[in-house]
Amino acid sequence: MTAAGYGLYSDSGKRSQTEIPGSITLLSRLGPEVESERQRIRQQFEADAGSSSTPRALCELADRNLQRVFSEVLRVHNGEAQGLSLLAMGGYGRRLLFPYSGLDILFLFGNKKAEAEFRPLIKEFSRVLWDLGFRVSSAGRTIDECKRIEEDNAEFHLALLDRRFLSGDSNLFERLDTKILPGSERQARPFLLAQLDRLTKDRLSRYGNTIYHLEPNVKESPGGLRDYQATVWLQTIRGESKDARTAIAKAVDFLNDIRCFLHYSNGRNDNTLTYELQAAAAARSLGIPDGPTKDKAAELALASERASGHEAADWMRMYFRQARILNCSLLRHMEQRTPVTALSLKERIFSATRVTKIGVAKPFAVRDGLLEVVAPGALSDRAVTFSLFTAAATTGIPLSREAERTISYILTHPEVRAQNVELSWATLRDILGADYPGLALRPMQTVGLLTEVLPEFATIDSLVVRDYYHRYTVDEHSLGTIEHLQELGHVTDGLGANFSPLWKTVERRDLLILTMLLHDIGKGMPVDNHITGSLQALESVAKRLGLAPEEEDEVRFLVEHHLDMSATIQRRDIFDQGTVSLFARTAGTLERLQRLTLLTYADIHAVNPEALTPWKAEMLWQLFVATANHFSRTLDRDRLQASTEVSLLAQVRAQTRDAKEGEIENFLEGFPRRYLAVYPASEIADQFALCQKLTDEPMQSAVKATQHGFSLTLLTADRPALFATMAGVLAGWGMNIIKADAFANAAGVVLDTFQFTDMHHTLELNPGEIERFRKNLADVVNGKAALEPLLQSRDSANRAKPPKIPVDTRITFDDSSSLHSTLLEIVTQDRPGLLYAIGSALVKEECNIEVALIDTEGLKAIDVFYLTARGKKLTEQKKEVLRQALRANLG
Amino acid sequence: MKKVEAIIQPSRFESVKDALYKIGIEGMTVTEVRGHGRQKGHTEVYRGREYTVDLLPKVKLEMVLPDALIDKAVDTIVEAAKTGNIGDGKIFVSSVTDTIRIRNAERGESAL
Repeated sequence: MTAAGYGLYSDSGKRSQTEIPGSITLLSRLGPEVESERQRIRQQFEADAGSSSTPRALCELADRNLQRVFSEVLRVHNGEAQGLSLLAMGGYGRRLLFPYSGLDILFLFGNKKAEAEFRPLIKEFSRVLWDLGFRVSSAGRTIDECKRIEEDNAEFHLALLDRRFLSGDSNLFERLDTKILPGSERQARPFLLAQLDRLTKDRLSRYGNTIYHLEPNVKESPGGLRDYQATVWLQTIRGESKDARTAIAKAVDFLNDIRCFLHYSNGRNDNTLTYELQAAAAARSLGIPDGPTKDKAAELALASERASGHEAADWMRMYFRQARILNCSLLRHMEQRTPVTALSLKERIFSATRVTKIGVAKPFAVRDGLLEVVAPGALSDRAVTFSLFTAAATTGIPLSREAERTISYILTHPEVRAQNVELSWATLRDILGADYPGLALRPMQTVGLLTEVLPEFATIDSLVVRDYYHRYTVDEHSLGTIEHLQELGHVTDGLGANFSPLWKTVERRDLLILTMLLHDIGKGMPVDNHITGSLQALESVAKRLGLAPEEEDEVRFLVEHHLDMSATIQRRDIFDQGTVSLFARTAGTLERLQRLTLLTYADIHAVNPEALTPWKAEMLWQLFVATANHFSRTLDRDRLQASTEVSLLAQVRAQTRDAKEGEIENFLEGFPRRYLAVYPASEIADQFALCQKLTDEPMQSAVKATQHGFSLTLLTADRPALFATMAGVLAGWGMNIIKADAFANAAGVVLDTFQFTDMHHTLELNPGEIERFRKNLADVVNGKAALEPLLQSRDSANRAKPPKIPVDTRITFDDSSSLHSTLLEIVTQDRPGLLYAIGSALVKEECNIEVALIDTEGLKAIDVFYLTARGKKLTEQKKEVLRQALRANLG
Repeated sequence: MKKVEAIIQPSRFESVKDALYKIGIEGMTVTEVRGHGRQKGHTEVYRGREYTVDLLPKVKLEMVLPDALIDKAVDTIVEAAKTGNIGDGKIFVSSVTDTIRIRNAERGESAL
C-alpha cells in the first residue's frame, strides 16, 4: 500500500520552493552516514547468505534518520512538536523494511490549525528523506478525522492497525492509540473484516488463486508475505492472539530473506522471483540455515552459473512448501466464522478418538457449506479419510481448511496410528469418476495424501519447468486441467459451452482424470521426452492399483496421444477430409475421441489463463465435430479382414478353449472395424463362446450389471425385425436404452449390444428376474411369445410426463457417406420405448438395419442407422414414406 | 519501409515462419484471426445441431521490412503458404512512414 492508497499527500521528492536553510548541511552530514550504514547491512546480508535481521536493521536505520530529520526540521522552523505526531504504519509499522520498500508514515495533527501550521514543514521533511534515499509515502489526518471510518479507503485503516510512534507529540499518539482507535476499530470490525476479505480475494484471484506460479511474486502472490500479513490483520481485528507456530515464523523468515535478496539483486522494489534469480538463490542456498555459507561475491556468481536446473527446482520446492504454509493459514482464517475452540488440534484428535469409541455416527458433517471433521480421531482410519474425499468429489461440497489441517496433522504425526492405509483402485475410481474430482484431489495434494496414493506424482510436486507458455508448476497445471473439466459440469456459455455436453456424457471419466494426473509426470523424470516418462509412471501405477489391461491401455493411449489433437489443430488443415480421416484413425472410436477432446481442451486451458483463446477452442471443436461425423458416416465402410488381425486372433485364442482352426476368423470376418475398438479381446472371446453355442440354441444372450445399469449382449442369425423386437422386449420390461450397437458379420450372425438403465429396479432388486428376462427375450425373438401384451402392460407405467427441456425431432438421410447404405440420423426426445417405436417404423417400411449406433445425451436421443431396402440404398420415395412413418411414431 | 500483412492458413504457419527465418526475417507479430474471403464457410451438423462455420480460422503475420527485402519476403510467404486451394490467404503490402524503437528513440530503418 502506498501514499496513493491512503490518499493525502503525494511525495514526489521534488524540491519545494520553501527549502529550509539547514537542509543542505543536514543532507551532507547524514547522506554518507546513511549510505555507509546501508552498505554495511547489505554486506551483512550477503555474508550470511540471507539474514532475517536485515529488514529490522533497515527499519532501525530508517527510524533513527526519520527522527533526526524530524527534529532538525522542527528546529529550523523554530517549532515545537506539540500537536504533531509522526507515526509508522503498515510494514514499516511492523518494523519490517526491505531494501527498496517504501516507508508508510502518518502525520497526526491535534487539529486543523496544527495541520495548516505544519504543512510546509512536512513537505520539507519528505524531500530531505527522499534525498537520503528513503521512499516515503505519507498521509496526514487530524485526530478527529481518525475517529471516522473512510469507507472508500479500507487500506488506510488496515495499515493503521500496525501503527507505531516515531517522533513528535507522544501524548497525541497516546490519545489516538488508547482512546480513539480501539473504540472506532471495534465499531468498524464488520466493515474491516468485509473489506479485508474483499481485498484479499481480489488479490488471490489476480494470481489465479494458486501459489504455484513458475515466477511467483513473493509479496503479492498467494503464499506470499501479504498472505501472512492478511492473516495477522484478521487476527488483530477479531481480537485473537497471533499464531505463534514455529512453522509460520520460519516461513515468514524464509520469504523475508528472499524479498531482501530480490530487492538487492534487482536494485528496486521488484518482488518477482524470476527463473534467473531462482538459480542464483539456489546457488547461494538462500534461506537454508545449514546450507553452505558463501562469503565471496565471485564465488557466488560462479555458483549461480553452475547451479543446475535441478538445484533451482529443489530450492523452489522449498519455497512452495513455505508459501503453502502461509497460504493455508490465511485461507483457514478467512474461512473461520466461529471462534476456535480452546483445545489444541492434538487434544481434539485424541479426545475425539475416545468419543468415536463410544459411537459417533458420522465422523464428518456439512457446516456453512463445507465438509467439517466432527470426530478427528476417526480419520486415523484412512478408509474414513478417503470416504471424506469421496464425499467431496461426489457432492461438490469442499473440505474446510480446518478439515485439511486435521488430516495433515494425522498424516504427519506417527503417534496417531493409521489403519487401512492402502487405497484400492475401486475407491480411487469413485473419486476420479465423480462430478467434482478436483474438490478431492486438490486437498489431497495439499495435505500430502495424493503423493502417498500416487508416489509417481511426487516427481512433479511443486516442479518448476522453464517454459515460455506455462505459468504454473507442473503439478498445479495437472490439477488445473481437472478443475477445468469439472467446471464444464456447470458451463452454459463461453469457451466451454460446446465441450460441456462432452464432459457430461463421457464414459470412463475415471480414466480420463487419471490420465490428467499422469500425463505430465515425465516432466519430472530424467527422460528426453516427457511422454516416455509419463508412460513409465503409468506402468507402475497400473501395476500397484491393479488396473485391468483395457483400462491401462486406454490411459496409455491418452497419455501417448495427449498432444496430438493440439498439434493437429495448429499444424494441419482441419477442414481437409484427409486430415480428419487420419486423425479419426488415430482416435479409433467416438468414445476415445470424446476423451481426447476433453483432455486437449483442459490441457491447453490450464497452461495459463489466456492460452485457450476462442480461436483455439473453435478449432478444437471443429476438429471434434468433423471427426465424430466421420465416425458415424463411415461405420460400414471399413470392415474386418480377420486373417490380417494376427495380434487380435492370438489374444482371443489365448482366452478361448476348444476353438477349431478358422472358427475365430469366421466369427470376426466382416464385422465393422468399430467392433474391435469397442470391445477388448476378453469380451470378444466371450462373444465368440456365445457364438459357438448357437448350434444348441438359435439365440444366445448375456446380461451383466455395469457401473450405470446393465448391458445385454445378444447373438443370433439375422432375421427380420430383430432389432425392433429386442428394443420392444427391453421397453416391455421397463428398461431404458441408453446406448446400443448393432453389428453383423459376413456369416450373417448379428451381434447386438444394449446398455440400459433399470428404471423400476426390477433386475437390480430381484437378481432371479435376470434369467426370466433372458428366457422371455428368447421366446419373443423365437416367436414363442408375443410382444404386444408385454408392451401393453408397460404402457401406462411408461406414459411419460412432459419433458422439462423439449427436444425437436430431426430426421435426416444421407446417401453420400456409405457405398451400400443410406444413413438415417434421428435426433429426438428420449423416452422409454423410443427405440422400439423407431424399429417398428423401419420394419413396417421393410428397411434392413445394417449397422446401428444408438446414443443418448441427457434427454436427447441420437440414433444413426445404416439402412438398406432389398439390398440397396433407399429410394427417394421410400425415404419420404419412412420420414412420415417416423414422424407419426415419434410425435 | 513497408508493412507486410499476410493472412494465411493456420496449418501453413510453421512453414512460413521457418521460410522467413531462413531469409533472415525473424521479427514478426502473429495473431490468431477469423474471417473469410472467397472461401465461404460451411455448415456441420453434430447431434442435431447445426454449426455454421462462416468465419474460418486464419493466422495473420505482420512485419515491417526495408524496401529491399519486400519482394523476397512476399515470394517466400507465397511459396510456403500456397496449397493451390481457395482459402490460402492474401498478402497486403503498405507504406510505413517511420519506425521508432521505444527503448532508445532510434528512428527509421535502423530501428527495424
